[in-house]
Parts: sequence; structure tokens; C-alpha cells
Amino acid sequence: MSNVLKCEHLRVVFGGLAAVSDFNIEVNENEIVGLIGPNGAGKTTVFNLLTGVYVPTSGVITLCEKDLAGMSTIARNHEGIARTFQNIRLFKDMSVIDNVMNSFNTKMKYTMAEAFLRLPRYWKEEKAARKRALELLHVFNMERYAEEKAGNLPYGSQRRLEIIRALATNPKLLLLDEPAAGMNPSETENLMETIGKIRDQFHISILLIEHDMSLVMGICEKITVLNFGEVIAQGTPEEIQKNPVVIEAYLGKKRDF
Amino acid sequence: MKKFKLSTPVRYAVNLTLTVLLWVVLSAVISGAGLKGEYFRGIVITIGINIILATSLNVVCGYLGQLPLGHAGFMAVGAYAGAIFMKSTPAAQLLRAGNTAAVVPYVIIAVLISAVVAGIFGLLIGIPALRLKGDYLAIITLGFGEIIRVVLTNIDSVLGFKFTYGASGLARIPKFTSLNVIFVFTAICLFLIHVFMKSRHGRAVLSIRDNEIAAESVGINTTFYKTAAFVFSAMLAGIAGCLYAGYLGSLYPSTFKFMKSIEILVMVVLGGMGSMLGSVISAIVLTALPEMLRSFSDYRMVVYSLALVLMMLFRPKGLMGTYDFSMGNSIEKIVNRIRSPKKKKKDGKKDAADSADAKGVQA
Repeated sequence: MSNVLKCEHLRVVFGGLAAVSDFNIEVNENEIVGLIGPNGAGKTTVFNLLTGVYVPTSGVITLCEKDLAGMSTIARNHEGIARTFQNIRLFKDMSVIDNVMNSFNTKMKYTMAEAFLRLPRYWKEEKAARKRALELLHVFNMERYAEEKAGNLPYGSQRRLEIIRALATNPKLLLLDEPAAGMNPSETENLMETIGKIRDQFHISILLIEHDMSLVMGICEKITVLNFGEVIAQGTPEEIQKNPVVIEAYLGKKRDF
Repeated sequence: MKKFKLSTPVRYAVNLTLTVLLWVVLSAVISGAGLKGEYFRGIVITIGINIILATSLNVVCGYLGQLPLGHAGFMAVGAYAGAIFMKSTPAAQLLRAGNTAAVVPYVIIAVLISAVVAGIFGLLIGIPALRLKGDYLAIITLGFGEIIRVVLTNIDSVLGFKFTYGASGLARIPKFTSLNVIFVFTAICLFLIHVFMKSRHGRAVLSIRDNEIAAESVGINTTFYKTAAFVFSAMLAGIAGCLYAGYLGSLYPSTFKFMKSIEILVMVVLGGMGSMLGSVISAIVLTALPEMLRSFSDYRMVVYSLALVLMMLFRPKGLMGTYDFSMGNSIEKIVNRIRSPKKKKKDGKKDAADSADAKGVQA
């Protein structure tokens, strides 16, 4: 199995504060990896480093053995990193299908002139994109919402649409930032199924941040625990659950009186 | 029952037929109205120009979600470019001789030149300005618009040649903007905006409005699309300016003051940002309203302002909100309703889902 994502000695400093220091992670093909840690541990900062929102102070990020240094968010998406957001960022006033079709933008090749003159390539590509978008929506049972405004969807569906939109860019690595935030237990269970389905059907690697331990322990093969910007533990869910350092970070130290 | 659906060619044919019909009716009414028709003609031409201006500003304001205040600047650039070109051609003599058909190629070239020149200015201004957002963008475009006007006023006396004739104005421009010309170009401009928005490029522009960070995360080149929409809008404003020059026959830099930009912005906001139909309607209403209120001229501006205030109080999102009209979809809806009127009562839920499916599958 080869690495999809590899971070080595990643470090970012804001002013005097090292938000992330010496962060190492390896995500293999077809693997679901969890990134957990208490609030303010630097999890989302890691995502922002991976997607090029922040520039790392030092360290190397490689995607399929390609160095991502100096690449913008857009270029990294073209390379194969797609993400969702902690607070949903949908294109609210666009229809659901337009939200998905927008992700095909770079794969569609017709030029502006062809769009203005409505030349054959425009029709062909639009039709194909529409079909593919509907197929994608169908996989997640969202087909019936296709013409609905994205902002009008129920909360769970909005989260799902964000994942579909990210998937539509055909990524190698999918970053999910707290996909279960604000969901009730049955919705979370549903989401677990969805995430498993994504991995099996699309053959991509997933790195997810999550506070819901049932979800993380249920589907992740490997877990990395962050605290104060430093990796304090790495391993399988069983190892993490027993790790005293992790328990201390979450619950505090046992004190002898 | 199978749902009634219009194929794309039929949709285009319906829209084209309706447009031609409107043209025929409009020209028949105006030529049949005699002397009064001349007055109407003037109003209709102004309405046409304002429609182009409002819808073009709507591209940046409503669709891209930015707030530029220098639209009159692009109009001025287009107006002067087109006017200077038309003055250099034999169009004036041809028009005087009544040979309108021979002027057509010159008009087309003039409009294209205006669009290109205004587009170049749009690019020059857009690249630095679009790095900013919100009120900062508003102020910087306001500044650029004023720079254009001030340059037009002073460039002749500074450089010492006779080109734009400064504050005294560019006069004796061939009056080529007839009813037919304005109708054709208004229709073309509206069509261009429509096809731009209903493409991958239009979707990208809309996604930037809704959430720029998310747009970047799905690989949309935001800088490119922002600039493209800005340039596109400037080009259309240039076309409107060119037609404006051909209608008035003389140009003064003072026409393109800051207030002109605000006037256009009012039309867009009133019609609803992001709705082309809204921009068209409010351009018509706001151009015709002052004319209709001429009979009690003393209170004209009071009524006009009052209408604006009431509009904003009762419809703060504008006349149409973000609703965009599609003839084909409306026909489909009506036919479907006629065909199965009782279905709704029996099985309301299913019908709602059906009509949601039918809504704008093609557009």
C-alpha cells in the first residue's frame, strides 16, 4: 500500500504560538484516518495547512509523492484534495444540482465563446455533467432534492451535500471537518454508513476530524491524537482508547490526595 | 401521466417568437402614434439603454455579489469610444441622406469597439480593485469612475489636441440609435447575460457570491471568474454607452457623474439583486415613472423618492428577490397544472415532489 498523504515535521507558528508543531501523519490508499483532540488542539489548523489556507513555517506535505509546497487551495484541489467545512459552507442560493455541477468546472473544457454561441461542445458537456451529478446524488439518495435550493435542505442533507460536492471534484483524499457536528445519534449512524460507502465506492482515502467518539472508534482504522498542536498518540482505535496520555489530555490526571 | 416538457430548441423558438412579436407591436404602436410617437420613441430608447445598464451591473452586483460604484465610468468609456469612431465614418452623411441600411455595419463596429475598449478598462480596473471586497471595493471603483470622468474633462487641454473636446462636450455624433437598433442590442445583451449565467462559468460566478472559500475548495479559480464577470459587465456598460451617444448626438463628461452610477445601482437594488427580470422591470419603471409624473412636475421627485422608500420598506430584497424568470419553465408549469388540476387535492405531497422535479430541469 502506498501513501496518499504524508506530512513530515509540519509546523506552523502564529506570532509566538506554535499552533501545530512536529505533526507527522501517513494516510494510505483506501484508508479512513481520524484526527481527534480537545478543543483548540490544532485539528482544523492541520486541515488548513493541508488545503493551503495557511503556509507552514516548516515541514513537508506530499500527496501521492508530490510535494505540495507553495500550491494554492485551488491548485491543491486540482491535485486531489477536497474538503468539507466545520460550519457548513454550501452555495445556499444555488440549486442542489448546480452545487454539484459547479465542482465539475475544471473538468469541463468548453470555453466562454462556446458558451456564448451555444456550440455543440457546450450541450454535450452540460448534458454529461448533469447526468453525472444526478448519478452522484442518486448514490446518496439526494436525487429528489436536485432542483431544491441548497439553503432550504434539512441540516443532515446539507452536510451530505457538502460531502457530495467535495466528492464531485474527484479527489484522492477527502478531508471531513466534524461531519457529525450537530447531528443526533441516528443521523450519526447514517453518516457512518455514508462514509464507509464513500470509501468502498470511490476508492479514496479519508481523513476526518471528529468529536463523536462512537463515529471515530467505529470507522477509523487509524487515529492520530493532537493536543496543544502536538501529536500525543497514534494508533488503532483500541490502542488509543487505552492510551493513558490520551485519557489524561481529555479527562485530566488522576490525583492522589 | 407523463409530465409536459419543452425541449431546448422549442424553448428558444418560443422566446425568439415572443421577442419578435414585442418588437412588431412596439414599432407599430410608436409609428401609429404620430407626433406623440416621437416622444414615446425617446422614452423607449432610454428604457432600452437603462435595461442594458441595469442588467450589466446586476452581473457584478447580483450574481458576483460585489458592489462596484463606477459603472458610469465604463459607460462613459464606451460612449466616447463609439462616438469618436462614428464621427470618423461617413455615417452622418448616410443618415442625412436617409440611407439607414448602409449605416448598420458602422453601428455594429462602433458597438464592438465600445465593448472592447470598455472591457479593457474593466480589466485594468478590475484586477487591482477585485482584490478588495465590500465597501472597500465600492470606494475604489467609485474613485476609478471619477478618474475616468476627470480625465475625459481635462485630457484635451493637458495634451493639447482636439479629441474628446473636454468639458465643452463631444458634439455632432451621428444619431444612429433608432428604435430597431436599441431593440436588437438590448435583446442581444440580455441573451448574452442569460447564456453566460447558464454555463459552467455562470455557475462559478454564482458560487463565488454564495461562498468564496468553498468555491476555492472545489477548485474554482476565483480571481479569474471575478475578473471575467467584471469585464463582461464593463463591456455591456460600454455597449449601453455607445447607444447612448448615438441617441443624444452629443456627450458631456458631466453626464457620467457619480450620481449616474447610483441611479443604475438603484435600479438593480430595487429590482432585486440577482434577478435579471427584476432589473429589467425596475429599469422600465424607474425610467418611465418620472416621465409619467411630468403632469405634476412640482412633486415629481417627491413621488419618485417616496416610491423608492416604500419599495425598500415593503420589499427589502427588491421587486423579484433572486427569482429568475424562464418562459419555458412557466409554460411547462401552466400546462402541467391544466392537465392535472385535481391531482393536487388527492395527493398533494406527491404532486409537490413532481413539480419540484419539473422545475427548470433544462432552463
